[in-house]
Parts: sequence; structure tokens; C-alpha cells
Amino acid sequence: MIYRETGQFKATYDADQAIFPIAQDRWFVWAVMAVAFLVIPFVIDDYWAAAVFLPLLTYGLAALGLNLLTGYCGQVSLGTGAFLAVGAFSTFKLVTMFPEMNFIVVVLLSGCVTAAVGVVFGLPSGRIKGFYLAVATLAAQFFLVWLFNKVGWFFNYSPTGQITMPPVSVFGFEITGPSATPAASYLFCLTFVVVFALLAKNIVRGRIGREWMAIRDMDIAAELIGIRPLRAKLTAFAVSSFYIGVAGSLYFAVWLGAAEPTDTFGIDQSFLVLFMIIVGGLGSVLGSFLGAAFITLMPIVLKNTMVGGLGMEVVTAKHVEISLIGVLIVFILIVEPHGFARLWQIAKEKLRKWPFPY
Amino acid sequence: MSIETIFFFETVVSGLMTGVMYALVALGFVLIFKASGLVNFAQGVMALFAALALYDFISPDGWVYALFGFTFPVWAGIILTIGVMIILAWLIERLMLQHLVKQEPIILFMASIGLAFVLEGVGDILFGSDVKPLDIGIPQGAWDWAFDHGFYVEKLDLYAAAVAAVLVTVLAVFFHSTRIGRALRAVADDHQAALSVGINLRTIWVIVWSVAGVVALVAGIMWGSKSGVQFSLSLIALKALPVLILGGFTSVPGAIIGGLIIGVGETLAAVYVGPYVGGAIENWFAYMLALVFLFFRPQGLFGERIIERV
Amino acid sequence: MSAQNNCGDVLLAVDNINMAFGGVKALEGVSFDIREGEIRAIIGPNGAGKSSMLNVINGFYHPQEGTITYKGETRHRMKPHLVAASGVARTFQNIALFKGMSTLDNIMTGRNTKMGCNVLWQALHFGPARNEEIRHREYVEYIIDFLEIQSIRNTQVGRLPYGMQKRVELGRALAAEPDLLLLDEPMAGMNVEEKEDMCRFALDVNEEFGTTIALIEHDMGVVMDISNRVVVLDYGKKIADGTPDEVRSNQDVIDAYLGVSHD
Repeated sequence: MIYRETGQFKATYDADQAIFPIAQDRWFVWAVMAVAFLVIPFVIDDYWAAAVFLPLLTYGLAALGLNLLTGYCGQVSLGTGAFLAVGAFSTFKLVTMFPEMNFIVVVLLSGCVTAAVGVVFGLPSGRIKGFYLAVATLAAQFFLVWLFNKVGWFFNYSPTGQITMPPVSVFGFEITGPSATPAASYLFCLTFVVVFALLAKNIVRGRIGREWMAIRDMDIAAELIGIRPLRAKLTAFAVSSFYIGVAGSLYFAVWLGAAEPTDTFGIDQSFLVLFMIIVGGLGSVLGSFLGAAFITLMPIVLKNTMVGGLGMEVVTAKHVEISLIGVLIVFILIVEPHGFARLWQIAKEKLRKWPFPY
Repeated sequence: MSIETIFFFETVVSGLMTGVMYALVALGFVLIFKASGLVNFAQGVMALFAALALYDFISPDGWVYALFGFTFPVWAGIILTIGVMIILAWLIERLMLQHLVKQEPIILFMASIGLAFVLEGVGDILFGSDVKPLDIGIPQGAWDWAFDHGFYVEKLDLYAAAVAAVLVTVLAVFFHSTRIGRALRAVADDHQAALSVGINLRTIWVIVWSVAGVVALVAGIMWGSKSGVQFSLSLIALKALPVLILGGFTSVPGAIIGGLIIGVGETLAAVYVGPYVGGAIENWFAYMLALVFLFFRPQGLFGERIIERV
Repeated sequence: MSAQNNCGDVLLAVDNINMAFGGVKALEGVSFDIREGEIRAIIGPNGAGKSSMLNVINGFYHPQEGTITYKGETRHRMKPHLVAASGVARTFQNIALFKGMSTLDNIMTGRNTKMGCNVLWQALHFGPARNEEIRHREYVEYIIDFLEIQSIRNTQVGRLPYGMQKRVELGRALAAEPDLLLLDEPMAGMNVEEKEDMCRFALDVNEEFGTTIALIEHDMGVVMDISNRVVVLDYGKKIADGTPDEVRSNQDVIDAYLGVSHD
């Protein structure tokens, strides 16, 4: 009854092409934004920022980046961990070389560096497809992590090989380092995420988004109607890597504060982000965030129930957690291979007709 | 022969042996990919799982001894472990594969990663996660004949090579000359068509996953005898992927030859190039090799040239 | 349709095309031309090389020998996207739509070669990018009206019935405003009504837009009715070329279709 679009007519193509053509959706989004910007910053504390919101935002952005490449353009990548590393190390180098540079610029530049690296490792996509390409991206994953481990210049020759983020302020608010307030860090990430989610939505509903989806759905036909496959794929690699680079920058600088190539950016990260978009929904901006929320929050819930609630030992709980994550992933793939985004869509369709389904 | 030449040959031999391991895991991949179109990321964990199970049947540290106060002889342990792998195959078919028919390859691949998580977690819970030395009586140490001629070659490696050769021959005969083998090839070509001529897809899947389980057991025994049963075993799955690219996803001989090429190439690179660039290049060398290879022969060593149609 | 209607200039000519896959010869010394404004049918038994011929024109297959002259320009091989940009659009024998996208988006992809805003403008969805999107949407809506598919505008094409998918595919090709439209078995697997619709669209396109059409079709009734000239291929060779009436009475064509042993 409430969720009705009856009576909402569109007089222009512009209105019909809006991101949220249905008024109720627009209200809902504004409400979520209001809570995110006006309520959460006042109640957030260190635990919630570090355990829930910062992971959610940074992984959400990384998942969105991967989804542009895999979900929209159909190119599977297992190199996400390494691209996060490129973003993180770019940020580290930029901040230590040019301490005066505005941090927003640093983050954006880190994204650009990652985009360039992404294009280089995307070049094989001109010749190879599907699973073969996925293995090719493993080359990026292992090679880049190895590089960051071996070449001292990247970590400023620190004896441990770790990189540590110095405190940085934006508009007078400290957002990284130990004395940053959780609200400032959170708002900084949130702004990036919201802006980039909006830009991503614009890209995927325009010409380039259609080119990507055409390549994904049937690359030969796409080529024959005039799409240049390599250029479209490289654009996807560039944009996707840019997003992942920005995510990597925030992941390292704002959330973790310190990082080490092998552990922080390993192949596990690549799989984790891939899980997020599969579970959330391939080819869906919203799905990227739903998936990120599920994959980051589920372990916390599981751990709290098992260790806190059932009094299990931490080690055993860890093993049970791994198995349960595996079970849940298989279960979700069986029940809804199109992910949460599809469930959300179905729910909306149902809601539209409720309470008179026929 | 000069000392350099001998060293070179020893490096090649040790590379070949690493290659045999890769080939064994890749073989499991190929079998399952042919039958269910699924790139089974869990193949490495299956090897770990099998080795852990075997260890528990035959070792005095294992569960069987702890519960019943005796251990099985090695041959009985192996048979029991094969039984475990068959049950596992059946469970996988029941709980997972059957529900994922006709899904896209990427979904199947993700599901197999999920499966890998489950097996890893369950394996750790059941058998513990510390390194276990697996000893099933394969002779260790240097091979005397070669040693007398100035080479150092592990006996274990020889056995591994021999077992791998036997396994491949048996599999080749099995798939080309038996009724089940023919059915399997039909399934590999086209699921729907195979169903329509009355092939029971589910039975075929259980059989193939069981065979892959046995191959995993062999890989697990070999690796376990060499370096102990430990988690790193499951990571071989990642190394088997470039092997598959070299050999082609559907070719049994391709898996073997690809495995050997990667094994030798990687070992040679690590020994002769590694020191100049800071070491540990075996982490990525295999993938780069596969990548370069793909540029020249996208269909793999034994794949047919693909004619694209519209 | 009269046979005299073939007096336009030559739009496209293929000359002595030879192409083989490994040892299999798909096309052997095929030459013919397509004139402006005509409906040109390419017929022949299965495996005669008809689709291969379209793929050659399209730039998707590269012949080992032979030249293609299009709009006065002779070439040996060409990139598919350049062919598309120079005004050749096509439909496919086995529907090649983008199944995950809506009808609207599918047809919009047909106008891709005419859109040029870069990724930054598109990300902002502002100014030129927005105007461009709206301008092209207008043309696409015109195509949608023309093909009478308004009701499925926002449906994902993977869920549409076969006949509708064929129609959307035609729409995608038309959206490119082609000079030469290649139709690969547009009526295969259709019932009589759907075939009639499809014929009507083809004729309308030919007459209203002045689009030249090259058509592969197995339904002889349709071919003889709507085409101006027919070329017949068999085992990769051209065996006849002329007006429907000429082709109909050609002994080689009758043999090819009724089956006379090749020796």
C-alpha cells in the first residue's frame, strides 16, 4: 500500500533515467544518508569504528570497485589484494614524500596510480578470457606483493618491512593516527564512499556501463556492433582499480594505520572481496555494500556468539567460524546465486503489490 | 662432469619432483573440471584432508589410537581413507553439486572456495592444525645408484614419480576403455545431452569426485611423507592453476606435462635467477610463466584452436 | 517488389573471397555485389557458407584471399568496430543479445558508435553526458515505437520469448542507423504471424529509411517475395546470382536443394 508508484508519471526522459525513479526509494535513501551523516558520528566509539564501520566502508568501496570489473564487465580478477596494496603503498609514499599535500589529493592520486597498474595487468584481457584471465590476475597478486616485500624504497627501508601511517589532518580534523577521533575518520571515509558510489552508479547507467555489460553478456556480438573490446575492458580495469586503490588507501591510512604486504594484502583479501560481490550480487552497486556488510559483520557475530555466548575456546571458535563461513557461502550460492541484491529486488516487487498480490 | 653440470641436473630433478606434486593436484582439477565444469579450488584441501585422515588411522598420535587403543596397518589405513574420500564425494554431491547444476562457472568456482573453507575448518577441528609427520614406510634418503655416480636423488621422489606414472596410466585406461569412462566423456561434452541418453549424472559425479579424492590422497601421502602434513598443502591448489593453463583444463597428459614444466621452470628460476632479485620468486614465477605462455597459445598445450562463431 | 528495382549504385562488392578453417574450405572464390537500396538475399543449403560470408563482410572473419569494396573503398581485412562505425549493422542467426540488460539498454548499445563522452563526464552525469544520453534515448524510443515493443521496454531480454528477442535484436541493429543491414536468418524458428511481422519490418526499413538489406533466409517463399536479387551459395561456391525468377529456374540451384551427388 505504502510502496506504490501509481501516479508518479514521468514527463521527460531525464526523469525516467533518474537513479531512483520511485519517490519512496528517494525518501528511503535520504533517510539512510541522514542517519549515516547526522546520527552515527555522534554515537560512534573506537570499537564500533574499528570493528564495524571502517571495515564496512573500505571493504564496501573495494567490493564496488571489483564489482565494476567482474559484475559489470565480466572480467574475473583475483588480484584485489594486490591492488589494495598499490593504493596503500602509494598513499604511504605520497604522505612521506610530500607531507604538505592535502590528504584528499593523496587518496585520489593513490587511486590514479592503482588505475595505471590495473591497466597494465588488464592488458592480457585482450587475448584471454574467463578463468584464464583470473589466473593471469593471480600473477599481479603474487608479483606485486613480492615487489612490496623486496624493494626497500616502497616501505622507506624500515627494518620490519612494515609501513606506518603518520597522523594527517583534513580541514583541521585529525583523521589518521592514534589521536584521531572515530567520528572524524568515519565521516572522512563515508564521504568518499558516498561520492564514489554515486559516480559509479552514473557510469554504469551510461554508455560505458552498457559497453561493459555488453562485453560481459556476449563479447563477440558487442564487438560486431562497434564496441572495441580491449578499450572497454581496459576502461573497466582502470576504473575498477581506481576504486580499489582509493579503498586500499583508506584501508591502510584510516582504518589500520599500519600494514605489512604479505598479511594485509594477501590472496585471502582477494577472495574475501570476491565473496562480497558474489554474496551481495554481481552487477549491483547496492549489492557490493550488502555483501561487504555481510562478510565483515558475520564473523563478528559468529565470534561473539561462540566465544561470548557458548564459551568456546578462541582457537576452536576460529575453526568453526571458517567452516561456517564456507557453509554459508555455499548455502547462499545455492539459494540465491544472484545475491542479496536480487533478494532486495524481489522484496521490492512483492512490496509494490502488497497487500493485493494479484 | 663438472660440479656445475651435476648441480644443474640435481636442480632439474628436484624441479621435476615438485612438478609431479603439482601434476597430481592438477590431475584432480582436470578430472572434476571434465565431469562437472567446476574448477575445484578445494582440490588442495582435499589432499590435506585425506592425508590428515590417513594419519589418524595409522599413527599412534591419531584419534583411532586415542579412542580404541590400536592403529590400523598402513594398507588398511589407505583403504579406510579411500572410503572416507568416497563418503566425502557423496556428501559433496548430495549437499552441494546437485543444487548447483547449470550455474555459471564463476558461481561454481566460488562454491568450491566455500567448500575449501568448510573442509579446512572441519579438518582442523577433527584432526588439529599442527604439522604431522606422515610415515607409511616409503624409504627415505638418497638413491644409492645415483649417489654412486655423483648425484643426489631422493628415493621418495623416485617413488612419487613411479606412483604418479602408474596413476596416470590407470586413469587413462579407465577413461578410455570402460563404460563409465565413456559416460564421463559424454558428460564432459554436454550435460543435457548426456542426461537425455540416460546417463545418470549424479552417479558420474560421485564417481569422479571419489577418483579425485583418491588422487588427492596420493598427493597428500607424497607431500606428507616429504614435508609433513600441514596447511601449506592446501595452497598447492593455487599453484596448480597455472599448470592447468599450460596444459589445458581438460587434458590429462596436459596436467602432467604442464606440472613438470612449471616445477622445473620454477626451481631453475629460484636457483639461478632468484638470488639476483632478492629471492622468493617462486611465489610468482609460475603465474608469470603461464601469463607469457597465454599470449602465444591461449588454448593451452593440448587444447584445440578455438574457432569463434556467431 | 519488382526485379527492375536494382539500378542503384554498388554499395558493397565482394571479390573472389577465399576462406578456410584449417583444411575446411568455407568460401571459395565468391564474388557478388549489393546495390544501394535493394534487398539482397543470400541463400543456400546448411553449411553453404552464408553466415561465414556475413562474418567476412562484418570484419569478424578475415578471408585468406579476396577484397571487399564498401562505399568505394577497397580493403582486404578490417576491424569489426570500424565496419560498424562505417554503417554496417547486423542481426545474428543464434540470437546474440545482451541477456542481462533490458530491452532499452540493448537498443541503446546500438547507438554506442555515435556517442563519445568520456568516462569523467559520464561519472558526473552532467552537461554533455546527460544531453547526449537524452538525445540518443529519443531516437531509441522512435525505434521502439517503430517495432511496437513499448511494453517490453524495461524487461530483461533474457526473459523475453524468442520472437520478441529477434525483434529487439533488429531494434539494436536499426538504432545504429545503418546504411547496410545484415540479417542472418531473421525468421528462423518463427510461426507464420511472426514471420509476417518480420517481413513487414524489413520492407518498412527498406522503404522508409532507405536501408540496404542483405538477408540470409531459408524460407523460400519469403526470399522470393521480398528480395530484389538473390545469390545462391553451395559448399562455399557461388552457384547462381540473379532475380528471384532467374534463380528459381536455375538447374544448379534445383540440384543443390534437391540433392544431386557431388562428384
